[in-house]
Amino acid sequence: MDIKADDINRRRVLLGTLLGGLGAVLAAAGVYPVWRFLAPPATDEALDQVTLFRDQVPLGGAHFFNFRGRPAVIIQMRPGDFTAFSAVCTHLGCVVQWQAAEQRFLCPCHAGLFSADGAVIGGPPPRPLERLAVSLRDDRILVG
Amino acid sequence: MSLRKFIVDWLDLRLGVRDLVEQNLTRYLLPRNINIWYSLGAVLLTLFGLQFLTGFLLLIYYVPDTTQAFASVKHITNEVPYGWLIRNTHAVGSNLIVVVLLLHMLSALFMSAYKKPRELTWLFGFILFNLTLALCLTGYLLPWSQLSFWATTVATEAPGAIPVVGEHVVRFLRGGAMVGEATLGRFFALHVMGLPLLFALMLGLHLFCVRRAGISRPPFGRDYRPAPKRHSFEHEYHPGGIPFFPNYAVKEGAVVCFFLALLAVLVFFAPNLFIPPAAFEPANPFVTPERIKPEWYFLWAYQTLKIFPSEAMGLAVQGAAMTFLALLPFIDRFSERRPARRPLFVGCFVLGILLFIGLSLWGHWS
Ligand code: FES
Repeated sequence: MDIKADDINRRRVLLGTLLGGLGAVLAAAGVYPVWRFLAPPATDEALDQVTLFRDQVPLGGAHFFNFRGRPAVIIQMRPGDFTAFSAVCTHLGCVVQWQAAEQRFLCPCHAGLFSADGAVIGGPPPRPLERLAVSLRDDRILVG
Repeated sequence: MSLRKFIVDWLDLRLGVRDLVEQNLTRYLLPRNINIWYSLGAVLLTLFGLQFLTGFLLLIYYVPDTTQAFASVKHITNEVPYGWLIRNTHAVGSNLIVVVLLLHMLSALFMSAYKKPRELTWLFGFILFNLTLALCLTGYLLPWSQLSFWATTVATEAPGAIPVVGEHVVRFLRGGAMVGEATLGRFFALHVMGLPLLFALMLGLHLFCVRRAGISRPPFGRDYRPAPKRHSFEHEYHPGGIPFFPNYAVKEGAVVCFFLALLAVLVFFAPNLFIPPAAFEPANPFVTPERIKPEWYFLWAYQTLKIFPSEAMGLAVQGAAMTFLALLPFIDRFSERRPARRPLFVGCFVLGILLFIGLSLWGHWS
């Protein structure tokens, strides 16, 4: 029996496809663990609460802390009146500063200004600062 | 297909890749009777590549600090997704590398590939062997477990037996009187940066020598003739041989796959084969665990130290044995390479292997 040229060709294509497929499967088996290893851990964010103490927040001042991996800020305007915000500016994501003398937030990047209750009072930011839920329990403050 | 041709044409015009491929792969001929022992170099290259990759990944989460190292390794193994895979591949891989390295050296010895004109290839290879052992030793400390701590204490203690300067050598190795933060710092730096850089350099030289001199003909078969004496450099060609690519490369690929499969079996089914229980307790400088032993490939040295009446003598014997091995091509200058015609050499070869195995077992059971 003689083997025709296009017969050989077909076998080549078949072999090539099989090898290619096998290679792809093996490559995926190698890449997937590496990708998972490198991927940052997925946190169950909704459940994360941050506990602060009342005396950490000065009256008329601000306290910065880490909330779900991002900077956040809590201020106490009147005794016992705590308000928390995400400290990330709604313009391009810089972190705002608290200006105690003017009682407002300044974003240093493009001079965005926010009032003590998070509203935009100047500069480019399109939205007010994101507000975070605050609840009080004895001498502790729960955020989130 | 046309895209591929386009890319190859583009590269060919600029770098002459077709010519490179022909010279180094398809028209690069190897001796007809080449055997699978010659593929162990490729296996090592693959395994070292894997060590580099997994080591680099581990570096992302590992913390080189005595208070955090153990926890960070535990975190990698137990919490980081697939961390167990990366870590075990790195740890088991290092053991497999030593096995393949020993086989690679034994095959080069048995077939006398180290002989003139390949003395430098052997010497660079021997340095690579020592660098590998140094990498194993420095890597052993990093998890900061009881095993790491005490194995390193024992290993760095050994040079203390050298007369006069011993104490200083020990202090220098440890960066202090005891194994501690300073030791971890320097071993970490050596393991991830210093030794790998040196290793890469030596590997480059080793491969350059191999490629430059040409593959040595296996000294077997009826038509084998010892090479005539040469007085000037000559690349060893093998007219009528088999092409490196695809013929030998496929064979090499098969052997590489075999060792990768072996690695996978160990990683998945016996990851703790080489890892004693003391590796799972954090280091405690105040409690020495019982029966602390070095890794299997250092057992022979450990046992030699115990046999000789004085440690200095044991060290001297070890040093002499290693120096002899390093300089073998300069000592053994006969051009005969056929094992059948070198009974004395083959006798020493077999005895050497038995001695290594015997000392290791003795060290293990004692
Ligand atoms: S990022 Fe805050 S004002 Fe531009």
